[in-house]
Amino acid sequence: MSGAVRAACRLGAAAARGRAGRPLSQAVGDGGGAEGGSGSSGSREAVERLVREHPVVVFMKGSPAQPLCGFSNAVVQILRLHGVEDYRAHDVLQDPDLRQGIKNYSNWPTIPQVYLNGEFVGGCDILLQMHQNGDLVEELKKLGIRSALLDAEKDQDKK
Amino acid sequence: AGGEGPLARAIRAKLDAALQPSHLQVLDETPRHGGPPGAETHFSVVVVSERFSGLPPLQRHRLVHAALQSELAGPLHALAIVARTPQQWQSDPNPPPCPPCLGGSKLEPRRE
Repeated sequence: MSGAVRAACRLGAAAARGRAGRPLSQAVGDGGGAEGGSGSSGSREAVERLVREHPVVVFMKGSPAQPLCGFSNAVVQILRLHGVEDYRAHDVLQDPDLRQGIKNYSNWPTIPQVYLNGEFVGGCDILLQMHQNGDLVEELKKLGIRSALLDAEKDQDKK
Repeated sequence: AGGEGPLARAIRAKLDAALQPSHLQVLDETPRHGGPPGAETHFSVVVVSERFSGLPPLQRHRLVHAALQSELAGPLHALAIVARTPQQWQSDPNPPPCPPCLGGSKLEPRRE
């Protein structure tokens, strides 16, 4: 690659980062718990895009079809109970940068993480609590999602 | 078999210091998640403390995390939390049943 092309790539990358003028040596975090560079899937910007992608976004281990952890499975099952099958699920096991980035973003140390309308709601324990005390039905209603449990109750009344 | 391991003791000590709980249960759930006995990676805690009064669940859990920050950055891989005020615990002194585990950590790639 010629020097001019290399320089153009650097400029392009800097523009993409949105932090013009920041020296390259400061762009990358110091590994471990630090944020990835803004180009990485774990950056604040990248995570922000993901949590806003859909009213219901879940960061989990495995997939809704095949959860790889009991806590992640619990989140999937609870959403299923409420008839919520259309949501965005991200498997952090496939992406170590995202796995660390999502923890940095929410300042929450564990997976799974549930976001409703772009806002962090909590992990499996909190979702379970919300399910048990009726809060989840209400929160879904605010998103324009009618919980299947409401229909289940209606069916029971008809019998 | 036997008493608490070192991580369990550390968790108990940190939560005692940070939250002065009236009731505290620290359980090593590692075997239930497919880990070898004694590995001390997955825990569940039941914390009953007046410090939780007026706080929504998210903030209660954040207090617990804050107390266990170094453990969570280290060997503590998973933490299930029940956080109640003394009044709530009195009216319902039973933690909710744990979600059934698939032993999923066996399927996970090994963390280095």
